[in-house]
Amino acid sequence: MIVALIGFPRFLAFSLGRAWQGFWRNALMSLAATATMVLMLVLLAGFWLVQAGVGAGLSYVEEKVEVVADLRDVRGAEDAVTVAAMELETRLMADPAVRSVHFVSKEEALARFRARLAERNQADLTGFLDRNPLPASLEVKLVDPRRFESVVETLRGADEVVEQVIEVKRLVEQLTTVTGVLRTGGAILLLLVGFTVLFIVVNTIRLAVVARSAEIEIMRLVGASDAFIRWPFIFEGALVGLAGAVVALGLLALAAGPLSDLMYGFFRVLPLELGTLTRDVTILVLATGVGLGTLGAWISVRSYLGR
Amino acid sequence: MALPFIRRGPRPEPDPPLAGPRPLIELVGVGKVYPNGKAALQDVDLVLGEGEFVFLVGPSGAGKSTLLRLLIRDELPTSGRVLIDGQDVARVPGRGVPRLRRRIGVVFQDFKLLPTRTVHDNVAFALEVTGTPRRAIAPAVDRALSVVGLTGQARQLPSTLSGGELQRTAIARALVHEPRLIMADEPTGNLDPLISWEIIQLLLRINELGVTVLMATHNADVVTALRRRVVALEEGRIVRDEVGGYHRED
Repeated sequence: MIVALIGFPRFLAFSLGRAWQGFWRNALMSLAATATMVLMLVLLAGFWLVQAGVGAGLSYVEEKVEVVADLRDVRGAEDAVTVAAMELETRLMADPAVRSVHFVSKEEALARFRARLAERNQADLTGFLDRNPLPASLEVKLVDPRRFESVVETLRGADEVVEQVIEVKRLVEQLTTVTGVLRTGGAILLLLVGFTVLFIVVNTIRLAVVARSAEIEIMRLVGASDAFIRWPFIFEGALVGLAGAVVALGLLALAAGPLSDLMYGFFRVLPLELGTLTRDVTILVLATGVGLGTLGAWISVRSYLGR
Repeated sequence: MALPFIRRGPRPEPDPPLAGPRPLIELVGVGKVYPNGKAALQDVDLVLGEGEFVFLVGPSGAGKSTLLRLLIRDELPTSGRVLIDGQDVARVPGRGVPRLRRRIGVVFQDFKLLPTRTVHDNVAFALEVTGTPRRAIAPAVDRALSVVGLTGQARQLPSTLSGGELQRTAIARALVHEPRLIMADEPTGNLDPLISWEIIQLLLRINELGVTVLMATHNADVVTALRRRVVALEEGRIVRDEVGGYHRED
């Protein structure tokens, strides 16, 4: 075992050296494989980022509130509206579909608005208004987000206090349908590109095997073990994947500045942690690249290097 | 696709110690029928002692190459047993085959050298791909090259060598693992008579160093002149096995 372990670095050095030679021996094909790999990985990363953004946005909105009723805002009748709202709240709480009801007063609404402005570093001009323009509202959370009809009905029925009902859930559902279609389409596209990449890697390694056929024959005759014959090609495939991943990550890093500005502006309010997202995308791109390269090489070696 | 550094199962048994004249190779009732139905060998019995020099002769298609392929376990016999050093090659597991082949040096008519590597590197290749430590490679290569008399050509590429030098490079490569047996398949097939003699002299000298040599050939002059043991194959059967010339001496 000790002897076997001492032999490992030699085996690794040999295999990696041969993989490197093999990569450059057929440079055009290797670079073509790497380029398609880059294309695929950039697509994958972009898809992942959009998914993460939209997903975080949707779940944030969904979690926050499910049905919102803006209350009538009548000058001088604020207290009456509040009393009516309290009554409505009690009625809503009696509905088994309701989990919680939160009354947002005009003051709280204004405070939230000001906080949002401050977060965006925008000037707060609300002090110049003679009166708080924001309506009070009721935010209703549901036990089962899909059962919002009865709540909406109750709120609509109380039209003496309720100005308008905003069905956040329905809005989210519509968005979810759109993103679902995008997700399916994206996944199919990725799968197709992935298969193309795999096919190109298989072919690249097949050419590498053919280019080395004389060497392979000699290796077998002089008693090289299978590992010495096969692993250089597996490493060559992994190298194509790694090169593709590194280039793809480089491109993403270049695009990261403008991209994150865009994302930041778009998803400003979202609890999107850019740190973990960067880490996830890096791992995803590296693992997919190296994984696809290795898989392609493995398929090739199995089909074209059978004993 | 096992990694070489992970050893599964019991350790391979060490080579048995060298003893006096004992069989290095034994073929017992060996038959080989290819999947297409062609019977390449039929009921072949053959024993090669340690240190022998044996010619294998016969017309094309007589089964010479098949016999050589059985010895390096490139093919398995369909009947009978092939023993090397008392070990049944059919029982050698797949991962043991490389180890078996390192004990047998092979030389071919077409040399099978790598055109982009120098003489030295062609010989070193056999050691590199079998995981020999780097510091052990150069001395072993130098030794093999000095045996075949190519020390001066070590840095040359095959394209600059004569046919005889090419074959001597191939022989050096076959020797570099210090095998017990050298198997040569028509080693003089591509060489003119004078150079052929050089190669034969070289193989004889290697034989004198204690290496068993099995040489398949069509070269009747050489076989007849040397008066060594000759095994003649015809249509897959051994038709003659005696000391003498290429043709039956009635």
